[in-house]
Amino acid sequence: MARQRAERRKKKTQAEYFFDYSLLLIVLFLLGFGLVMIYSASSYTAAQMFKGDAAHYLKRQLTAVILGLVAMIIVANVPYHFWERFALFAYIVAAGLIPLVKTPLGVKSHGATRWIEIPGTGFNIQPAEVAKLCMILFLAVLVCRMGKGIRTTKGFILMVLIPMPIVAEVYILTKNLSSAIIILGISVLMVFVASPDYKKFVIMGLLGVALVALVIYLVVSGSDIFAFRGNRIRSWLDPESDPTDTGFQTLQGLYAIGSGGIWGKGLGQSMQKLSFLPEAQNDMIFSIICEELGLFGAVAIIVMFVMLLWRMMVIANNAPDLFGAMLVVGVMGHIAIQAILNIAVVTNSIPNTGISLPFISYGGSSVIFLLIEIGLVLSVARRIQLKEL
Amino acid sequence: MLADSNKVFHRKKILVVFCVCTCICILLFGRLVYLMVWRADHYSRLATDLHERERSIKAARGRILDRTGTVLADNKTVCTVSVIHSQIEDPDAVIRMLTKELELSEEYVRGRVEKYTSIERIRSNVDKAVGDRIREYDLAGVKVDEDYKRYYPYGDLASKVLGFTGGDNQGIIGLEVVYDTYLEGKAGTILTVTDAKGIEIESAGERRIEPVSGLDLCISMDMNIQSYATQLALQACASKEADGVSILVMNPQNGEIYAMVSVPEFDLNDPYALPEGTDENISAEEKQNILNGIWRNACINDTYEPGSTFKIITAAAGLETGSVTKASTFSCPGYIVVDDRKIRCARVGGHGSQDFVHATMNSCNPAFITLGLRIGLDNYYQCFEKFGLKTKTGIDLPGEAGTIMHKKENMGNVELATVSFGQSFQITPIQLLTTVSSIINGGNRITPHFGMQTMDSEGNVVDSFNYPVATGIVSEETSATMREILEMVVSEGGGINGRVEGFRVGGKTATSQTLPRGSGKYISSFIGFAPADDPQVIAIAIINNPKGTYYGGLIAAPVVRQLFENILPYLGIMGYNQ
Repeated sequence: MARQRAERRKKKTQAEYFFDYSLLLIVLFLLGFGLVMIYSASSYTAAQMFKGDAAHYLKRQLTAVILGLVAMIIVANVPYHFWERFALFAYIVAAGLIPLVKTPLGVKSHGATRWIEIPGTGFNIQPAEVAKLCMILFLAVLVCRMGKGIRTTKGFILMVLIPMPIVAEVYILTKNLSSAIIILGISVLMVFVASPDYKKFVIMGLLGVALVALVIYLVVSGSDIFAFRGNRIRSWLDPESDPTDTGFQTLQGLYAIGSGGIWGKGLGQSMQKLSFLPEAQNDMIFSIICEELGLFGAVAIIVMFVMLLWRMMVIANNAPDLFGAMLVVGVMGHIAIQAILNIAVVTNSIPNTGISLPFISYGGSSVIFLLIEIGLVLSVARRIQLKEL
Repeated sequence: MLADSNKVFHRKKILVVFCVCTCICILLFGRLVYLMVWRADHYSRLATDLHERERSIKAARGRILDRTGTVLADNKTVCTVSVIHSQIEDPDAVIRMLTKELELSEEYVRGRVEKYTSIERIRSNVDKAVGDRIREYDLAGVKVDEDYKRYYPYGDLASKVLGFTGGDNQGIIGLEVVYDTYLEGKAGTILTVTDAKGIEIESAGERRIEPVSGLDLCISMDMNIQSYATQLALQACASKEADGVSILVMNPQNGEIYAMVSVPEFDLNDPYALPEGTDENISAEEKQNILNGIWRNACINDTYEPGSTFKIITAAAGLETGSVTKASTFSCPGYIVVDDRKIRCARVGGHGSQDFVHATMNSCNPAFITLGLRIGLDNYYQCFEKFGLKTKTGIDLPGEAGTIMHKKENMGNVELATVSFGQSFQITPIQLLTTVSSIINGGNRITPHFGMQTMDSEGNVVDSFNYPVATGIVSEETSATMREILEMVVSEGGGINGRVEGFRVGGKTATSQTLPRGSGKYISSFIGFAPADDPQVIAIAIINNPKGTYYGGLIAAPVVRQLFENILPYLGIMGYNQ
């Protein structure tokens, strides 16, 4: 009997815990799709730039994906509470890595110094990507530590102010507005979920909208306070008026999207990837997807992202504790903000700023750290007891 | 546990986050639908424009045919050699080969080959043989395209009338310019799909828009008359060591020009050749000035003082205003005093008493001055304008010069007197010929022209050109009287050297001193028409600065006589004996 009960319990323990295969499947699909699209978008230019090595970008991305998957599996199998103790350390790492771009370790590319070289490996990482992960961990821990303190105004202001140094570092030191926006967005989202209040966020949101409207108004009315960003905003409003300069990439992206039509030209048939569209395999990969796979391909990708967010929502809602839920909310916010901003940039819905599409765009650091985040989410998911569902 | 009831707001908030994200995704989806469905055509078109590179295919330029159907301007196949920067594999070999075959400086070829453009033209109008040789080298990145080059079978014949074309097959001077829109045709294009660097995507194929050949232009010129007139002009020019000789032959009834010669002519197949002995180091501007001088058509681009030939106009004005009849008498003491000015007659002793017909035959200046003054400034000026002398003839050649005439309010008796015998103002030879034609053809001011019709390559007429005619310049009666008087000038008067055996010829001579007076330079001319009673052909010969004898009656009239002796039978004009 005792043995039977023990067996039953063992069986029960196995079945009791949850592994989110749907989430994993969606991520794997996006990764695989991304690799195909990276090859499609980059093979022509890669063959020209790297002496016939059409798969140059594919190979590098594949390496990063494999590294990322290994990291993901490890993280997924470590109970997530293990990471709790590293929260302060993570904040310090995030704050400490970014200034390294100004040291000889910094690597310059595409006119901006956003990478640092890991000595001896020849690999570059983007400290901003590390910062995103660190920020999620740190804020999740912070929310748990503060407990009910977050409901006080003091707690709220503290939560909002703590990520600011990192945001400022990213924006000022690496001139990377988009990463700064993402880190800020992740923080705001996590605070939003952690705090029961709505009013403060509605006011914050309205203030943000008003600020953006003011900036746009100032730029349009001809003020040159925002010289560099101002050009971006002007070319956003009318990319065809300035097709040679700042509006160039946007316009080339629109050509790609528009010429795709409903059904697309077919995989590999993009014209715009033939050196017309800069960064075709990177920030602008969504426009190549639109051109080759048409509206249906584009919608499929958007639906995949929505499903990914849905899975994460389910996991966050059922997380065994607040820490787990906050971790998942952070990752969810990260992916949601990045995907939405990327698609919005590519469709010229917002001014052009360099944001990559999660899991799909070319970029090693990005995919590795995203997979680590997914590992965290899976780790949280594994702690969900099935009876809770 | 998150599921605790006091943490329910977390769930709600997460749901809010998810819903907001989903809503934004739906908005982005809407944006995509707008871009990919509504704006798809717009962006596809822009993208196609961006991806396609054009290479134009020259259209064959229309030929120019004379009235007998002889081809005066034709095309021959030549090649255009270009390089495609991105396809060149061995730039040095390409540069060496092109330098050698095209006989260009290495520096020039290197500049073109190394220039970073999608396609760079090295040289056009290369002989087909050279083009074939270059093709045989089979070097990557070198393109040889065949096209057409203008070719003039008769070299310098009617050079200033026909004109020539430039490297892009566009007319530069002459009829080639005026009828450019008919002749040029429509260039075709080869559209190839390329990447951003201009490299052709071979799998994409190419689209061709075929060129449309230009229309053939039929002109009123008669190659035989033109050749013969050219010979005569050259002879006269050589024998009189003149600066230039112009001959115009026209049908006075409708304005069709049979010949327009202005020697020296130039070689249409090599229009940029400078005269021998020209300093090679002259500036581009000086070179252009010399060339413009060579290309100048004296018959229409230059004005001159017509001299006594203009007495035809004064006579017609006199008859028309009723100021004179054939029987009116004039007396000539060898000079006439107008206001304070004494104007001499060509004949120092004077012509004595003479009737109007004889005054014209004698080309008596005092008689015509008297007539001019009798007509009066108002009437004279009115006739001058009515005859169309103040407007351009409207000939279908570029650069026709306008008349240089006194303003009416500045004209006193002296000016009126000098104008009456053809001095102190300037007109073009074509203007004089046109005006005289109108006077002798019954009073219809015709428009002198070359262009008659255009034809497609199958010989179907596409356009027929009509030219304005102003009727009633002079009355039929005046016209008949003028024909009669002018016939007398040739048969018995000063134009006797213009007489053609067996034909009734009318005409008038002129000898005018060029400005500045006293330089000893003259322009001798003779204007003649036949048959005198029903003019079918009118011709003017103008000899600019002849050496030795300079009287128009002695040197210009024989030129027209020789011309008429040959072309009248050729044109099928019957003499009175036939």
